Amino acid sequence: MGEREEARRAGEANRANRGGQPSPPMPHPNERVEERAPAVRGRMSEAELIRRAREGDGSAVRELYDRYAPRVYAVVRRIAADDDTAQDYAQEAWIRAIRALPSFRGDARFSTWLHRIAVNAALQAVRKKGTREKRRVPMPETLPVEPSHGDALLADRLEEALALLPDGMRKVLILHDVEGYTHEEIGELLGVATGTSKSQLFKARAKMREILRTGTASDEAGGMEACGT
Amino acid sequence: MRHLSNEDLARLVEEAPSPEERRHLASCHRCVAELDALREQTEALGSLPDLLPPSGDWRELERRLAREGLVKEDGPSGTPGFGLGPGWLRAAAALVLFLGGAGTGAVLARNGGPEAPGRAVATVEAGSAEEAARILDDAEERYVNALAQYRRLTGTGSEEESGVVDPASRFAALEALVAAGQAAVRQAPTDPFINGILVSSMAERQATLRQISTASTDDWF
Repeated sequence: MGEREEARRAGEANRANRGGQPSPPMPHPNERVEERAPAVRGRMSEAELIRRAREGDGSAVRELYDRYAPRVYAVVRRIAADDDTAQDYAQEAWIRAIRALPSFRGDARFSTWLHRIAVNAALQAVRKKGTREKRRVPMPETLPVEPSHGDALLADRLEEALALLPDGMRKVLILHDVEGYTHEEIGELLGVATGTSKSQLFKARAKMREILRTGTASDEAGGMEACGT
Repeated sequence: MRHLSNEDLARLVEEAPSPEERRHLASCHRCVAELDALREQTEALGSLPDLLPPSGDWRELERRLAREGLVKEDGPSGTPGFGLGPGWLRAAAALVLFLGGAGTGAVLARNGGPEAPGRAVATVEAGSAEEAARILDDAEERYVNALAQYRRLTGTGSEEESGVVDPASRFAALEALVAAGQAAVRQAPTDPFINGILVSSMAERQATLRQISTASTDDWF
């Protein structure tokens, strides 16, 4: 297996582990998504749900939404860095996915396929919207599905710092460090070279660190300076 | 000797250091500490939780799907379209109906008013998704108004009387409430009332967290 193919499979496995199992209808804090038993909702298998949704069965579509909406919304929200636009992007992602259901052949897991559609929808929408206005963003209004007790404050700070990153850096950091995409996949999604994805990631991590340490984003992109002597 | 740059340290989160970098790290506690912080940051990013979409998300999507002809109008649920919303939204609606009654009752009782009419709200049965949505909106508005009035009326008392506690204590109390709610949900995963309590507790905890976070200037790394 080539290095590229190996990396692609590793990335897919990572994403599947993060979001491969359906979400229950209610938030279930402290319970990892991947640990949930599919039988919690379990009246219908996923294949059956997809078949029925493809035929226009509204309740099957709703069941899919119930299972995957938090996963879709999370990635779209982080790419958009804004609650209002995130909802539009998430809606667009769902419309595209339901429209494309007849072309879903089951080669990949449904969650992986849906996640890719959501990422693409959000990236395209952000590109259309143009450069986002640099501003101090408020704390996200969204509610985490599974905030663990000690980490809620940390998660909030991370979300806020993510939203303060420049667009290019934020996209790469989200896709790589949050979503588990490989640099090859990110290169394809963003239309950039693998090396560019890597350099943006390192700059983004350094910038993120700076934001978390100081609470602000300076105009300098990337933290090229030495840490001092 | 100069320290490693932030970007080099960010690269070393997952890549092996060069011999020169390795030598530097062996003798520089500061760069090692910075690298550890970057590793923690990366790990924390990979553990960020999923996020619940806004409460009106499903209804809006439902309308768009119907408008584009992507779903049949008469779904098996027997309602036009396909129902009120996802489970957590329905549960939240149940809670709002309950709290709407309780909140209104509390204010009226404090003012020596008549028996709380909110009790009637809690027993309303909706014949359709649209009617349920309308009832929910009404109840929510009544609840918000009643709560605002309640806070106004109680805000002049002492801290103890008005129920105002410091945010950290409130957060700790809400943590306990969320934990209890989680345990209850595991026992009765489909009970709308219990789920509603959990959703409400989590939302309140999140708001308190924001309050604490806004007030705090401490760095976590």
